Amino acid sequence: MRPRIAVLYAPGTNCHEETVFAIQRAGGDAEVAVLRELVTGEDRLDNYQGLVIPGGFSFGNHIAGGRVLGVYLVSRLREQLQSFIESRKPILGICNGFQVLMESGALPSGRVGSRVAALTLNDSAKFESRWVSLVAKDTGSFWTEGLAGRTLRMPVAYAEGRLCHESDTRVDAAFLYADSRGMPTEGYPENPAGSSRGIAGVVSPEGNVLGMMPHPERAIMPECGSSDGLVLFENMVRYCALM
Amino acid sequence: MGIVSVFVRRHDDPEERALERQLRQLGCGELTAVKIERVYRFEGDIEISALLPLLVNPVFETYSTETMLRPEDGPVVEIGYQKAVTDPETPSIIEGAKALGVDGLIWARLSTRYQFFGVTEEQANELVRQHLYNPVVQMIVTDGSYGDTLRPSGKPEPTRRISLKGLGDEELLEISERNSWFAPLEQMKTLQRYEERLGRPLTDAEIEIVVQSWSDHCYHTTWKSLGLMKMLMDATESINHPMIVSVFEDNAGAIEFFDGYAITIKGETHNFPSSIATFGGVTTKHGGVIRDTIGFGKGAYPIGGSTIMGTMDPRISDSEVPKGALNPGHIVRESVRATADYCNPMGIPMMFSVYRAHPGYAKCLALGHSLGLVPIEHAKKDEPQPGDRFVLIGGRTGRDGIHGATASSVQMTGETAEKESAAVQIGHPIVERKFMEAIPVLRDAGCIRAITDLGAGGISCAAGEMGETTGILLDLDAVPLKDESLSAWEILLSESQERMAMAVPQDKLDEALAILERFDVEASVIGTFTGDNKYRAEWRGETVVDIDMSFLWGECPIVAAEVRKPQKGQVADDAPKTPGLSLSELPNMAKQVLSHYHCCDQSPAGFQFDSTVQGRTVVGPFAGITGKMPTNVFVAAPLRGKPYGVVSTIAYNPFYGDVDPAGLVQLMMIEAITRAVAVGADPESIALNDNFYTPRYSPEVGWHLKQMVETAARVSKEYGTPFISGKDSSSGTFVTTDGQCIDVPMTFAVAAVGKMEDVSRVVTKDIKAAGDRIVLVGGIDPHKLGGSVYLDCLGKRGEELHCSSDPDFTRRQLQIWRRLHELYRREDRPIKAAAAVGEGGIFTRLFEMAYGGGFGVDVLLNASAGPLDGLLFAECIGSVLIEVSAHEDLQALLGDLPFMVIGETTADPVIRVSFLDECAELPMDDLVAAWESTFKEVVF
Repeated sequence: MRPRIAVLYAPGTNCHEETVFAIQRAGGDAEVAVLRELVTGEDRLDNYQGLVIPGGFSFGNHIAGGRVLGVYLVSRLREQLQSFIESRKPILGICNGFQVLMESGALPSGRVGSRVAALTLNDSAKFESRWVSLVAKDTGSFWTEGLAGRTLRMPVAYAEGRLCHESDTRVDAAFLYADSRGMPTEGYPENPAGSSRGIAGVVSPEGNVLGMMPHPERAIMPECGSSDGLVLFENMVRYCALM
Repeated sequence: MGIVSVFVRRHDDPEERALERQLRQLGCGELTAVKIERVYRFEGDIEISALLPLLVNPVFETYSTETMLRPEDGPVVEIGYQKAVTDPETPSIIEGAKALGVDGLIWARLSTRYQFFGVTEEQANELVRQHLYNPVVQMIVTDGSYGDTLRPSGKPEPTRRISLKGLGDEELLEISERNSWFAPLEQMKTLQRYEERLGRPLTDAEIEIVVQSWSDHCYHTTWKSLGLMKMLMDATESINHPMIVSVFEDNAGAIEFFDGYAITIKGETHNFPSSIATFGGVTTKHGGVIRDTIGFGKGAYPIGGSTIMGTMDPRISDSEVPKGALNPGHIVRESVRATADYCNPMGIPMMFSVYRAHPGYAKCLALGHSLGLVPIEHAKKDEPQPGDRFVLIGGRTGRDGIHGATASSVQMTGETAEKESAAVQIGHPIVERKFMEAIPVLRDAGCIRAITDLGAGGISCAAGEMGETTGILLDLDAVPLKDESLSAWEILLSESQERMAMAVPQDKLDEALAILERFDVEASVIGTFTGDNKYRAEWRGETVVDIDMSFLWGECPIVAAEVRKPQKGQVADDAPKTPGLSLSELPNMAKQVLSHYHCCDQSPAGFQFDSTVQGRTVVGPFAGITGKMPTNVFVAAPLRGKPYGVVSTIAYNPFYGDVDPAGLVQLMMIEAITRAVAVGADPESIALNDNFYTPRYSPEVGWHLKQMVETAARVSKEYGTPFISGKDSSSGTFVTTDGQCIDVPMTFAVAAVGKMEDVSRVVTKDIKAAGDRIVLVGGIDPHKLGGSVYLDCLGKRGEELHCSSDPDFTRRQLQIWRRLHELYRREDRPIKAAAAVGEGGIFTRLFEMAYGGGFGVDVLLNASAGPLDGLLFAECIGSVLIEVSAHEDLQALLGDLPFMVIGETTADPVIRVSFLDECAELPMDDLVAAWESTFKEVVF
């Protein structure tokens, strides 16, 4: 049976349609879950086996990227989200979704409500729309299965992608920006955000929550420049099926 | 209930460093540092501590209830929006507060404090005045700025009844001017006669509705009087292209795509507001043209956007800026910021961003396009039926943008900028994004009988247009307001952005409102379609509008416009046909051309716009191995999982109009079609969108305009390529505060949209291998350099464009397109790369092709073909450079088409030009450095 995966829609989300398509391509059964209906109780997170928080400008990214939606998740859906994480269901946050996971505390620690890292304004102080190369780390998580050491091409499009955290915070990198030789880089523009250690994606200690700034859902067809992103969705669907 | 403040600073703020860098670059050498502090102000019964999770992330932010900037360190200036303007952030703050369970928050505002180090208070104020705020929508915040409430507040003026009875011509014009109606005398006289017929004075609201609806901006009176609209429409009709779905009748035009879908296109200018308050003007330009797509048929979905800016040279000094105009560098930078701020949140891929300069653009060109996708069955609106409800959705109505339509229809002066300040506003893309999502759902559920966007003229025009065949009764008390002080006419005229109006069948109303609620779209039923053919509106128990639709739409006087052939051509000069260039001078000239504003690397702007969102971009604005080669074209595969491609491109050149306005039109049409075909579009599948921008009307301008439109119609018919949509603006004149008139160049920009069956067949510009041949397909006349970038580098304009009205020229161009397309369909794919020649001539394209692939080119030119400069820099539009294998039989490939072998691709990154047994070496690194240098000076 195809696993049922929620793609969260909040006002301002704008990558849900292509994310739904990418999950379907990967063999999943994706549905848009509307924040408003989750908050009112018409829908529940445990109706789904997996969750993707897609890219966009939730609530206009006002105050800070992902802030308002992060506040929503913590103050209105805290228990549902925490139990989703603890039941080891997969959660993927892409771009704005990654910001939301950081603002809600679901990353990097997996503990909803504990903000210990953030994605902040790029070093360039500008929105950056570019193609980047990523190297995948061997995280031990299903997310990067078969990817360790591979270089992946996909686009980024963000103003707030620079990882920022206290020095004693545990941050498990899953993807690093790479230069033309495939080496992790802090250099611009290969690392458009200026993220330290070249970090582009982070996985939770338990391995089921992944956040990444690049857009895998925009890299699922060779005609559109790359199909490297499809593997992530396939890994997610396969993991759901095994659960 | 008091106002409380929270001050927030980031631990490490790249914005501070960027601003310091920018201000230093703009000439403030003394500045040593900038600090930024964000100030939130709240009104309501709230505990600040409850809001902190929303305002501060302690990982990277610090807060205090007092400012953290110490005044003794340096001057501090705070900038906020004016009271009548709603901050973009306000609704999100209120929403976030609700999520936190804080219900007592009434209003919130966000402003920014800047502290400057190393400069005096006077210098700081000057920096702020020049670079950081726009007095049209913002203010310098001081202690008393907000008084005792943050909300926009006040009491409305009662409706006035204004009698025109017995007024003479001068008095009529005076009253029109005083009320900012800007109505010409004939319209005022028509109103005077209408008053007599009704037997009562008209209300302010009634007069406003009429003058808005009859403004040049809404009614295209200039074009109608010259019969120009009809000319283009007739041409399209005579072509009778089978793919046409909708032409010139809706907010956009549409052609049939694949699988029951249509593609829409629209280009819209927003020149006046962008010239006086660029940020607001450009955001509303994008918002408006996107709504033209959303409001097409019964609702289309936007799949591509563009931004095109024509300004004066952005590198001129303040002293060279016409008095009363904004500095063009400021306009370009603010436009980039505005495009990023609006388009990125919309989630619509940027197809192309184009920046051009001309000394005539004191009133700038601000053009944007929108491409949309719609099921053909929903591509036509139905007529509203009596009993249908008139539903207003999206943002609230405020004081913003009142008189936008009439103000944008008149010449602009330094004073108009002051007086019509309300014509400018700031955009709230999040509001528009929400209904962009909801409308296709409403459409598919059968809730929409007709839909239109609210643009120029606001509710007054939308209600008038939708209610034309039935009549409408509006309840203005039902309109949700941002500002309670709006009077009836202001509610009708407000051009507050991000609003749409729909005709919803009565039995679908509940379902429609439920769908809108699901997507968090505010909706209000503000009227009913009646059947009495009257335009009526009620407000506070009073009938404030009661006029006949037949008067509004049938009696606008069209005064015949006088047309006179100008004494001599435009501003052609005495430049020699080919100034002559030696091989030793080539390296310098090559760098000059590549660093010309029109040819240079514009990625510092383009990379700020999302071009891959929606996940179906095949060819974006930039490509090649560095990701920075300009493609000048956009290809997407809009139907998910299907190979069908939509191709779009733009041709726009501000120089050609100086030489020959009619020639400009021919060349732009050819350039747009050629670019589309060169990437893979089927030449038979292409449709066009025109945008004209011309100086204030004079008989001479009228003569040129007529020539231009006649040319457009003729060329369109010759190629069988129809115009399906467009827009004209006839107000391109700026009057400086010391009375000097500056006319824009005769401007014509054409966007093409076309189709391809399989996007895997695209041919890109970048060179694919060393040892291949580069061939120019199509002709080149190396003596026709008029309007070229090359001549502009020499300070000249020239006399003759690279065009011709010879029927052979037309026929040959058609053959080139058709032949290329045949070759593209061949299984062996003989054409590896292709680039349509344009600004900067063959040389610029060779450079881009080499740069894109990381190769070089050995260029071998035969002196018998012409002079060196002409061969390299003539802008032989319509010709295409192609890359083919060395073993390819060119005769077999190209038949009797004119072609010329230009050179061979090489592995070493050098452009080597051989001419008359000599050779010049141009290393790509040097060329790239020159090409990259220009725009970095403008957008930083």
